Amino acid sequence: MSFWPIAVLELYPVFSWLHDLLASIGLPSAWLQPLIYLLLGAMIFGILSLIALFLVWWERKIAAHIQQRFGPMRHGWHGWYQTIMDAVKLLQKEDIRVVTRDKVVFFWAPVICFVAAFLAYVVMPWGDGLIVADLNIGILYILAVTTFTVISLLMAGWGSNNKYALLGGMRSAAQVVSYEVPMVVSILTVIIFVGSLSMVDIVKSQSGLLFNWYIFRFPFGPIAFITYLIAATAEVNRTPFDIPEAEQELVSGYNVEYSGMKFAMFFLAEFVNMFTVSAIAATLFLGGWNGWEFIPSWIWFLFKTLLIVLLLMLFRWTYPRLRVDQLMEFAWKFLIPVTFANLIVAGIFKYLGWYW
Amino acid sequence: MGELRTEEFIVNMGPHHPSTHGVCRLVLTMDGEKIVKIEPVIGYLHRAIEKICENRTYMQCIPLLDRFEYVTAMSCNYVFSLAAERLAQIEVPERAEYLRVIMLELNRIASHLLFYGVTAMDIGAYTPFLYGLRERELIIDLFEMTCGQRLTYNYIRIGGVSRDIPKEFIPKCREALKIISGKMSDYEGLLNENPIWLERTKGIAVLPKELAIAYGVSGPVLRASGVQYDIRKNDPYSIYDRFDFEIPVRYNGDCYDRYLLRLDEIRQSIKIITQALDGLPDGDIKSKKSKMTFKAPAGEVYARIENSRGEMGVYLMSDGGKTPLRVKTRGASYNHVQVLPHFGTDMLIADLVANFATLDVIMPEVDR
Amino acid sequence: MTKEELAAYIQEKYGEKLTPLESGRYDLLYEVSKDNLLDVAQSLKDDENLQFDFLCNLLGADTKEHFEVIYNIASIYKNLRLDLKVILPYDAAEIESVQKIWPAANWYEREMWEMYGIEVKNHNDLKLLLLPDDWDQGFPMRKDWDAPDFVRLPEVD
Repeated sequence: MSFWPIAVLELYPVFSWLHDLLASIGLPSAWLQPLIYLLLGAMIFGILSLIALFLVWWERKIAAHIQQRFGPMRHGWHGWYQTIMDAVKLLQKEDIRVVTRDKVVFFWAPVICFVAAFLAYVVMPWGDGLIVADLNIGILYILAVTTFTVISLLMAGWGSNNKYALLGGMRSAAQVVSYEVPMVVSILTVIIFVGSLSMVDIVKSQSGLLFNWYIFRFPFGPIAFITYLIAATAEVNRTPFDIPEAEQELVSGYNVEYSGMKFAMFFLAEFVNMFTVSAIAATLFLGGWNGWEFIPSWIWFLFKTLLIVLLLMLFRWTYPRLRVDQLMEFAWKFLIPVTFANLIVAGIFKYLGWYW
Repeated sequence: MGELRTEEFIVNMGPHHPSTHGVCRLVLTMDGEKIVKIEPVIGYLHRAIEKICENRTYMQCIPLLDRFEYVTAMSCNYVFSLAAERLAQIEVPERAEYLRVIMLELNRIASHLLFYGVTAMDIGAYTPFLYGLRERELIIDLFEMTCGQRLTYNYIRIGGVSRDIPKEFIPKCREALKIISGKMSDYEGLLNENPIWLERTKGIAVLPKELAIAYGVSGPVLRASGVQYDIRKNDPYSIYDRFDFEIPVRYNGDCYDRYLLRLDEIRQSIKIITQALDGLPDGDIKSKKSKMTFKAPAGEVYARIENSRGEMGVYLMSDGGKTPLRVKTRGASYNHVQVLPHFGTDMLIADLVANFATLDVIMPEVDR
Repeated sequence: MTKEELAAYIQEKYGEKLTPLESGRYDLLYEVSKDNLLDVAQSLKDDENLQFDFLCNLLGADTKEHFEVIYNIASIYKNLRLDLKVILPYDAAEIESVQKIWPAANWYEREMWEMYGIEVKNHNDLKLLLLPDDWDQGFPMRKDWDAPDFVRLPEVD
């Protein structure tokens, strides 16, 4: 059983049954592993699509209630399947293609954006043992693939052949490159203590309740968490850092020329990305799946992640937007020095053994 | 390595752009994100109101002029009535004057609440928009109760007002004022001390006093630049000289001051309305001369009032006939758009949006 | 300074150039000849006691006998109001720009030029403002411009 892609615990019976079923209909065993991986991929894709749809609905509800409205109310209880209907509507929409577009770039930009959003989930620990592949470079891999998004935004900006889109693409490139640095350094602060890049090791090193989590490793834990959260908000282009799609300045930035399903891909990818950065924060700082044992680990993971998503949403509906140069100044003159200082402090603590 | 070759490019902001508040087109010459030159192009909303007025009777002009500046339609009604009354030397009954002041000031509050919401939205905060509109709704309901309309009121007529207020108006109005003055702290709490808001508005797009006067800038924008000039005090019309209120003035002339000044003005307006409600006398609401067949004697007059955006004026010429000879409308936004190229350059596009929002431009007033 | 004082002051100081008009109500209205306009405007602005630095409004008008150009000016610091009127016959419809004195006149003069066809001399940027760029239907605000069913259709290829 060593080829199991996941150390199946909670889902073990299902996969075991599936494995036996596939074997019993006479599939050669060489096919089994790719097939199981394919199924897992489909599963992750399905779950994440559902999560993204839920997040869209949730965000609309939160925004509505902050603004003393009701938000979607028509489809089902409090409009719970409103976003599904929206997705169906977008699927039926005409795909408008600008005549002056760069054909190849224009087509591939949303595809890359969409795919890149899902890549990170290869190493995301959903629960105790619920992981597709426990790579030993887990977090490094996540940081590498999430940066794909910026390429797609730049492609969208360039391919649309529209000045607003181009400005949006350029802004997002500048922004993501700047905020990648504090984000990585904040993560490094945790890595120093774990001594491993594997996501499972990171979670396991904070097993137990509350005070084993890295957010409560004073003094550097909370600082790293806050700087990570700020940088992550900027990474996923959300208010107050949503300058690439600033509606009032650039109409809607890089995706201004997209319509129909291509637009929906950008839109869903944005929410998946938001979930990704929240999941990373939950894993690194809030102890991942750790919690009281009588609640299943994946519920803990989802709970913590959604808590951070909620925080990001509250930011969005409270704050005004920063200006592009202020955003850069904030990253290079404030966030990066703070994160580096924090990293050094953490290193000294580790060297002296002043941690628990 | 040689100098990197850069090139200025032109961005067409508008006519359909979320932050040009209607159909203003700004042709921006940009150097990267920096604005080098602004050229406003207007006229997309030109409805020839002045020409149509020349072919309508005086009373027919009033509903037409509602469309001149529809955010504060009461003041459009009023400024035309004022011009016609000055021309025909009509005495307006006391009660009508009080009602007019109440309506004008309520309309000013409604307009400033809209400004609050829209400006915050332009700077990227979505929530204040709904907050501003929520309280504006209370005022709009009062107008609906009075004249049946929510946007274009056709309420203030030559020689009076079209109808009396219903019985429940006064308690409802007092309640609305109480709610609004209570919510003011919410508005201020959300934005005034917010570091991002301060970053975005403080010291941005400073309009110097001399430039403002030279280009005919008026209203809150002029007062935010440190000129204490308000037509309600300086050239009093109606019964404004009977009320006790202050003209707020601020001295930096930047976006932040323009924003704060309007919040101050809401407070002063509440003060005026409270006094007017207390002193509201009984009596007629219309002068005897207020008829559909109103004709002005020959002559000409310029009437100007202070509406929420600045000086609103009507130059009315009459040759004694059924229709006016010439109606020239003057909106404050016309000058505010005109002055934009002279102080709005050399900043980022995001600042331009903040600047344009705090000028509180409304396009129907510019294009007419 | 009250209106009467202002009238007396102007009578005394600018008596030969400004003629009071009877048709004005409420505010003072003076006629000024086309040639004296710039002179008078400049001295009204520079006068220590008047300081007419604020141009409220500028309009052209067609009275069926002649054109009129009216300047509504105000003084911010001295709190005064005044109207100036220039009468232009139909066959000599041109006037000096007052842009140098009151920069705000820029757009008002452009509008007057396109709507009435009153030529504005020494204007730095005289082009169509409210009318479409390809306008060729004359001057719409003139009284003889009559087109009750005028509809401008978009061009279709």
